[in-house]
Amino acid sequence: MSLPPTHFPEKFLTLAEMMNISEQELERRKQFLQFGPEDEERLRKLAPVAENYAEAMIESFYEHVLSFSELKAFFPDAALLARVKARQKDYFLRLTQGNYDLDYAEQRLKIGAIHERIDLPIKYYLSMYNFYLREVWRYIFEIDPEHPDESMATFFSLMKLTFLDISLAIDTYIDARERTIKALQQEAIQELSTPVLPFREGMLLLPIIGQIDSQRARQLTEHLLVAIRAYRAKVIVIDITGVATVDSRVANHLVQTVDAARLMGAKVVISGISPEIALTMVTLGIDLGPVDTVGDLRTGIEHANRLQGYRVVKIAEPDEDEHRENA
Amino acid sequence: MEVPILKQGDFLIASILGALTDTALTRLQENLVHAVRKHRSKGVVIDVTVLDVMDSFAARTLRSITVMTRLLGAKVVIVGIQPEIAFSMVQLGLRLEGTLTGLDLEDGIALLKAADTKDGARNHGR
Repeated sequence: MSLPPTHFPEKFLTLAEMMNISEQELERRKQFLQFGPEDEERLRKLAPVAENYAEAMIESFYEHVLSFSELKAFFPDAALLARVKARQKDYFLRLTQGNYDLDYAEQRLKIGAIHERIDLPIKYYLSMYNFYLREVWRYIFEIDPEHPDESMATFFSLMKLTFLDISLAIDTYIDARERTIKALQQEAIQELSTPVLPFREGMLLLPIIGQIDSQRARQLTEHLLVAIRAYRAKVIVIDITGVATVDSRVANHLVQTVDAARLMGAKVVISGISPEIALTMVTLGIDLGPVDTVGDLRTGIEHANRLQGYRVVKIAEPDEDEHRENA
Repeated sequence: MEVPILKQGDFLIASILGALTDTALTRLQENLVHAVRKHRSKGVVIDVTVLDVMDSFAARTLRSITVMTRLLGAKVVIVGIQPEIAFSMVQLGLRLEGTLTGLDLEDGIALLKAADTKDGARNHGR
């Protein structure tokens, strides 16, 4: 049974939106870095100089990069290297073009995301900023050797902006990692959390732990229906002790599961409805309809036994000696 | 395609062999009711194992067969609904309320026999 996966419209969001970087957030970051309009002004003045040094600086940077064998692997051919250099140049020139707004942040995030995607370790990524600042210092100083104070101020403005870039770059790495971890967790939960356990001949046990959303309910029902067929089950105990909340949607999913099982000739008992859940359900007016419900798993299994015509009888006191041996 | 109705002791077995048109379904309904009457059957098993679609008309017809045969004093068990069909049926709200359902033919006959024994016991007790 294959059903279409649920699509999230993530691709319609910008990176900044996905990472909750708003106008205010960007403004706040600038405040922390004490990056103000005068910094922007100084950087804009640097633009013509940057145009001159960009090429030479990028050349020496890549010379440095390619002297490391582990980094060489990222540039398998000359065409790629040339393309990366051109991009790098755009990147540097953008530093001195003013308008450090959300568009600027988005562009920076994109570049960070690309580096993350090709698995470039962040240490190399950061070393680029280091190299850049050290190189650029010389060029800035040469503009006006008579006024080292002014050169210093310009350099600090550039440094602030560079740190803004760094914060954005690191965020893309962290964000990507968090996304991966979350996806893996989700996957693990989905795989682990819907076991259908054959408990006795003709009886299945289905403990549910965690949230029930429509995707999971669907998967769970599928598993259950296939298992009913495979084990020729007549009675199923669904235990929802591990389900934190039961709202009308969850209740609806449960009713559907019960109905589908019934169509295949199996009866479902739902166990593990806590007093809290019972209270909320009644308060919200949620009705499980004709579904058999019991308080705890133990009662659920007893009820299922009864439905199957079994009665569990204690036939002897546990053997003390055997107990001790096993302990 | 005609659905064969087989007599097996007190019960009738209607085994659907392929996709059914609405006309064929209606004819099955008529034939079954007459066969129940003729053989004085106590139960009917309708096997839908091969069906890969169950639309609202089919579900409704199965329900009305159940109601009609109940009027004649016989029980109906629908058996062999596939997992995928069961899933899509509940999504469409086709729940076959009030009908007995079983896993397969064997299960269906066992269900009818159990129901028969219970009825017998009840009648005996009266």
